Amino acid sequence: MKPAAPGSTLTEIMSQTWAISARIVREYSRQRRNLIFWAVFPALMLLLFASIYLNNAGTASSFDNTPAGILIGAALFFSCLGGTVSLIVTERERRTLRRLLVSPLHPAAYFLGVTLACCAVAAAQTFVVYLIAWLIGARFHGSIALGVAIIALSVCAYVGLGFFFGARFAKRAEDVNGPVAALGVPLLVLGGTFFPITLLPAFLLKLAFLDPVFHMNQALKRATAGETWWNLRASLLFLLAFAALSILIGIASYRQMLTEEKRA
Amino acid sequence: MSVLSFQNISKSFAKKRTLDNFNLTLEQGEVYGLLGPNGCGKSTAINILANLLDPDSGTVTFNGLPHNRQSRRCLGICPQEIALYRDLDARENLSFFAQLFGLPRPRRLSRVTELLQLFHLEQFAGIPIHALSGGWQRRVNFAVALVHSPQLLVLDEPTSAVDMEARHELWHIIEQLRLQGCTILLTTHLLDEAEHLCSRIGIMKNGSILRQGTVLELLREVPALAIATIEGPEKHCLRARAVSLGWQMRSAAGKHICLMPQTQTLAQVVQLFSGLDLASVTVQPVSLEHAYLEVIDGWQAS
Repeated sequence: MKPAAPGSTLTEIMSQTWAISARIVREYSRQRRNLIFWAVFPALMLLLFASIYLNNAGTASSFDNTPAGILIGAALFFSCLGGTVSLIVTERERRTLRRLLVSPLHPAAYFLGVTLACCAVAAAQTFVVYLIAWLIGARFHGSIALGVAIIALSVCAYVGLGFFFGARFAKRAEDVNGPVAALGVPLLVLGGTFFPITLLPAFLLKLAFLDPVFHMNQALKRATAGETWWNLRASLLFLLAFAALSILIGIASYRQMLTEEKRA
Repeated sequence: MSVLSFQNISKSFAKKRTLDNFNLTLEQGEVYGLLGPNGCGKSTAINILANLLDPDSGTVTFNGLPHNRQSRRCLGICPQEIALYRDLDARENLSFFAQLFGLPRPRRLSRVTELLQLFHLEQFAGIPIHALSGGWQRRVNFAVALVHSPQLLVLDEPTSAVDMEARHELWHIIEQLRLQGCTILLTTHLLDEAEHLCSRIGIMKNGSILRQGTVLELLREVPALAIATIEGPEKHCLRARAVSLGWQMRSAAGKHICLMPQTQTLAQVVQLFSGLDLASVTVQPVSLEHAYLEVIDGWQAS
């Protein structure tokens, strides 16, 4: 028996990234509960907000902004952050992480594979949310490329945080919801996900500027209204920096988890 | 030429020395059984082989060269627990791990088909792992370790928690792999499994191999040709009679184990103990279990 000859490192990482990503998407497609939750929950939220805004002629135009908040707060938050935490915990509990450790899998390929899978889920969620919103009457007035860039940065930020929470705070499946809800839900509320930030008192508004969800929401809502890259540069830069930071923290936490897993 | 060699490996955790000057050499094409009580260091040795742990001292060589990440690719490890993706089916699990090992698509497809046939998994290939019984899951678990056709296969209690029929099928597969030239390191608590499959066996305790050899060589560790197990209420009298016959005594599970230097029939043993109240007497040839207990000093004090 002759073992497989290794390819070049970059080709191998790309192949492994694709393998990890395809596996995760295939697993998700079999987990109906996740699929329903990730699709039906944002859709229901959208319908709920539509019935609030569209019943009142004075706020009908505000409905254009609603899909952005729903996508960031009710869709991507759960699939990309909660999903990543759950994925890591499951790998550890089912001992598949250990099996991956004795395979030639490059750690970077695992990280990239999870991110790519989350991007695929995010793309599907974006399609569902904006399709429903469009059917109800909401319109996206800005640059689609800008919208895609904001969503991609949000996915990266959520995945990095997911690795951080999954590796550091959630040792078992039962631990998944605790840290995500405890930190995530206040960030969603403070980030103006479900209501206009004009309702926030001054001191909370100052605090909100430090909340990455606030910048995700504001960037996507303002992009929806047709604002340009240049107008959104402050939020985009904040998001870029936060996404980079959360990925770095996620990688560091993941590496530490692998070291601990090797010793287990 | 040796495939694998552990040379003077030591490893400690906190203040406990888990491997203590551990030495082991595996020759090409042999099935080596590693036996020992829980906590004796078997898993640590496997973890060092899998590059999950670094030894504190000593070296591991693979095909005569220092063992590293590159040579780890020649290694297939079947873990004791089922480590599979439960929502994927057998074919998808195999294909996924084959891709991680860099098998090109055509070779991957043919290898997956080969393994499904070898493990008689064709009819279950499309069923998610969570819907399979434990025995079939274990087969897939085993098959995944073979997906890249490893030169050395490490099987960590591969047949634990499977029924007798499945166990014999897995034994048959292990024999087939050996015939194909695959070197196998097997850990097990099932002594009949080790006896049936292994060309050599090493018995470990406290982090090192105390004895190793073929089954016949290990049986010579017991200073007897046959074993009589005797139970009765007059324990002291039974013991005194056995000692007077020149037999060495051991004790296990409250029974007197008599090491008989000659083979005796059951009738002869009963005759030798005539006049004493006997509850039960059995006579059997020396087995690997007796050799194992003798080597690890696992008998209870008489």
